[in-house]
Amino acid sequence: MVKYKWPILGVLFVGFATVPVWGSEYVLLFCLLYCLYLAMSQMWNLLAGYTSLLSLGQQAFIGFSGYAVAVLTNYYGVYIWLSVLIGGFFSVLLALFMSLFIFRMRGIYFAIGTWIFAEMLLLWFSNWKYVKYGTGLFIKPPHPPSMTTIYYASLIMGAGATAAIYIILRSKIGLGLMAMRDDEDVSEAMGVEIFRSKLFCFMVGSFITGLTAGVLYVFQIFIQPYKAFAIDWTVILVFIVIIGGIGTIEGPIVGTFIYVLLSQWLAEYAHISLLLLGIIAITIILLAPTGIMGTLHQKTGFAILSPRRL
Amino acid sequence: MPDEIALKVSNLDVHYKDFQALWNVFLEAQKGEIVSVIGANGAGKSTLLNTIAGLLAPTQGAIECLGEKIDGLPPYKIVPIGITLVPEGRRIFPRLTVYENLIMGSYTPRTRSSRNEALKKIYQLFPVLKDRHNQMGDTLSGGEQQMLAIGRALMSNPKLILCDEISLGLAPVVIKSIYGRLRQINQEGITIVLVEQDIKRSLKVANRAYIMLEGKMVLEGEPSSISEEQVRKAYFGI
Amino acid sequence: MESLLQPILNGVLLGGLYAVIAIGMSTMFGIVKLVNLAHGDLMIMSSYLSLVIVAWLGVNPLWSLLGVVPVMFFVGFFIQDFLINRVLGKEMEPPLLVAFGLSIIVQNFLLLIFTPDARSLTTDLAVKTIPLGEHLNLAVLYLVDFLLGGAVILAVYLFFKNTYMGRAIRAASDDEMGASLMGVNTRKIYAYAMGIAMMTAGVAGVLVGMTFTFYPHTGPQYLIIAMGVVIIGGLGSMKGCLAGGLILALAQLLGAHFTSPGYQLLFGYGALLVVLGLRPQGLFGGKI
Repeated sequence: MVKYKWPILGVLFVGFATVPVWGSEYVLLFCLLYCLYLAMSQMWNLLAGYTSLLSLGQQAFIGFSGYAVAVLTNYYGVYIWLSVLIGGFFSVLLALFMSLFIFRMRGIYFAIGTWIFAEMLLLWFSNWKYVKYGTGLFIKPPHPPSMTTIYYASLIMGAGATAAIYIILRSKIGLGLMAMRDDEDVSEAMGVEIFRSKLFCFMVGSFITGLTAGVLYVFQIFIQPYKAFAIDWTVILVFIVIIGGIGTIEGPIVGTFIYVLLSQWLAEYAHISLLLLGIIAITIILLAPTGIMGTLHQKTGFAILSPRRL
Repeated sequence: MPDEIALKVSNLDVHYKDFQALWNVFLEAQKGEIVSVIGANGAGKSTLLNTIAGLLAPTQGAIECLGEKIDGLPPYKIVPIGITLVPEGRRIFPRLTVYENLIMGSYTPRTRSSRNEALKKIYQLFPVLKDRHNQMGDTLSGGEQQMLAIGRALMSNPKLILCDEISLGLAPVVIKSIYGRLRQINQEGITIVLVEQDIKRSLKVANRAYIMLEGKMVLEGEPSSISEEQVRKAYFGI
Repeated sequence: MESLLQPILNGVLLGGLYAVIAIGMSTMFGIVKLVNLAHGDLMIMSSYLSLVIVAWLGVNPLWSLLGVVPVMFFVGFFIQDFLINRVLGKEMEPPLLVAFGLSIIVQNFLLLIFTPDARSLTTDLAVKTIPLGEHLNLAVLYLVDFLLGGAVILAVYLFFKNTYMGRAIRAASDDEMGASLMGVNTRKIYAYAMGIAMMTAGVAGVLVGMTFTFYPHTGPQYLIIAMGVVIIGGLGSMKGCLAGGLILALAQLLGAHFTSPGYQLLFGYGALLVVLGLRPQGLFGGKI
C-alpha cells in the first residue's frame, strides 16, 4: 500500500482540484463542505489525538474568526480574503489568551475550560451592540467571490490542514508528542519541551480552524452568535474523528466523508443525522475504540499517511 | 479428614498482554495447612495469588478450591466460596472508618447475618482495632493497617486465606505479633497460603513450602528439607 | 444596601437549586472519575418526563417526582451498566466521549419528540411571594427549590454515610481492587451509584422545569452550571457542592445586579475561571 502512496494521493488531489470542471453544482457543494470539515476535524485530531489536549471549545475559534471576517469586511471594507487571513490571526490571539488560563489545567479540566471560554464568547457577542447582539451579521463584500473561488480556498484548507498535521507529526515536535502519547513517563522527563510542543499545536490548531471558519463564513454569508459559538461544531468534529479513527491522519479523511454524506442525505432532518452520528460514535467507542481506520490498520496494517518514520 | 485438599493449582499459565508471568505453575494446600511460597522479587508470587483470588484470569490451567473450579471467575464469585486475599500493600479503604472497613469484609450475603459475631471475634483477636473503630483507615499505623487488612479478610468467614507480603515494611515486634495471630487463625482450621520476602519466618511457620523462580515452581517440600543453598539458588540463580 | 438584599436572598435560594443540579455529577466524579457530559441533558429529559406525567394525570409537577425519580434510577443504572462500564479503564477520554455522544443523542431525541418549543412545568407556586420588607420579597418557588434541593443533598449524604450500599460505593471509589477483593461486584456498584446520581438529576429536572422554561437544547447550559458548581466546590465533595452552588449563584445575581441581566451567566463563568486559575482543585477538593 505504501508503495502507491504518492500516486493515490496525486490522483485524489487532481480529482478534487478539477471538481469545478467535471462536477455538478451539488458535487461541488459536497466537496466544498468536505474540505472545510476535513480541515477542522484534522485540527481537533491534532489536539485530542496526538497532543492530549481534549478541546471542547473549537467553536470559540470558529465564531471568533468568523466574526472577525464579518466585521472587517462590513465595517472596514477590508478585502475579503485578507480579512479571512486576519481572522486566522485573531483566532491565534484568542488561543494565546486562552492558554494563559487553561494550560495549567489537565485532561478534563482543560476540556471544560475551553468549553467555558466558548460559552463566554457566546454571551459576550450576543450582548454586544457592535456586532448587533444576537441578530447576527451578513458578510457583504463589495465583490462577492464566486463559488469556484470559495471552493479552491476550501480545498487549500482541507489539503493544507492534512499536510500540516503530517509535517508536524514527522518533525521533531511530532516525535516528542508521539513518545509522550506512548509513554507517560517520557512526558514527565521532557516537561518544558512537551509544554512548548503542546502550545505550538494549540496555536496551529487555532490558526487553521480560524482560517477554515473564515472560508466557511464567506460561503455562508451570515453569522450569528448562537450558531457560531455553538458546541455543535465541536460535537461534529469529535464524531468525525472518533468514527474515522482518533490519532490517525486517515481517520478524519474517512470520518468527514461519512459525516458530510449523512448530513447532506438527511439535510432536512439535522437532528436525526446528529442522533445517528451519536449512536454510531458510541457504538464505535464501545466496539472498535480506534475507529474505522485505526481498526483497519490493526487488522491489515493499512496506512497511507503514517506519521511514523519506519 | 486431615488430607482433604483446600486448594489445588495445576498447569497455570498467566499472561500480562504479551508477557508471560507464570509458566505451568502448580500448588497444593491441604485443609488446615500453612503453605509458604517464597522467591525473589518478580518471581510471580503475587501474580499467583492474584490469579487465585480472581483478579487475573489465567490463560491456561486449572484452579480448584474446596472442590469447586474457580479459575477465570471474578472475585465476587470467588469470595463467597470462602477464599480471600490479604493483598500486598494492605489496600484498606483510607476514607472509611475501621469499623466500616471491617464490615465491608462481610459483603457477601452468606456472611451478612453472622456479621456481629465475626466482628466480636476480630475485636478479640486485634483489640487495637476495637479501640480505633471510629478512626479513618488512613490514620492507622502500618502495623494496625495490616491487622485491619487481616481482620477485614476474616470477616468474610473464609476457609482459605491468601496473604501477600504481610510483613513488608513493619517493625520486627509487630511482625512477630501478627504471625502469632496467624497461627491462632490457622488453629481454628483456616488454611493459609503465605507469600513472603521474609524467608526465615515464613519457613518457620509453614507446614510446606514452595520456591518460585522466574514464573516457575522450582521446588516443593517440607521447610526442614529445604537447604539454604536451594534458597540461595532460587533467589540469586547461583 | 437595601437593594442588595434581594439579589443576595435570591442568590442563596438559587444556590440550593444549583447544588442539587450538580450533586449527581459531583458524586459520579468522586466515585468513577467520570465527568458525565450528559448530566444536563438527562436532567432536562426528566423535566420532559415530568411534563408528560403532568399532562397525562393533570397533577402538580411535584407529584410527578414519584414517577420521574424511579424512572431516572433505571435510566442511570442502564447507562452505567451497558455503556460507561464497558469503557472504564486507565484512560479518561473514552467514558467522557461516550457521555458526550449520549448527550447529543438525548438532545436530538427530545427535539424529535417534543419539537424545539419552549416548555415549562406550570404551578400556582410560581406567582406566590412572601413579603419580607419594603423592597424584599421571598419567591415561594425559589424557597421550594432551596428546601427540596437541600433535602436531596442531605439524603444523598446520609445514604453514603450510613447505609451498607453507600459504604460499599465509597469503598469501591477509595480502592476498586480492594473492594473487589471483598466480593464487591464493583461494576454493579457503579451502576447503582449512577442510578442514584440520576435520581438526584430527576429531582433537579423537575425543579428546574418548574422554575425556568426549558427546551431540548437547554441541557448543556445546566451541565455548565453543574460543572461550575463542582469545580468551584471541588470535584466529589458534598460540602463543596453546596458552597459552590451558593458562590456561583451569588456571583451571577450580584454581577447581573450591578450591570445588566444579560451578563448574569458571564459573571458565573468569570467566578469559575478565577477559581480554576487560582485553585484548580476547587475550594474543598483535595489534591488531584
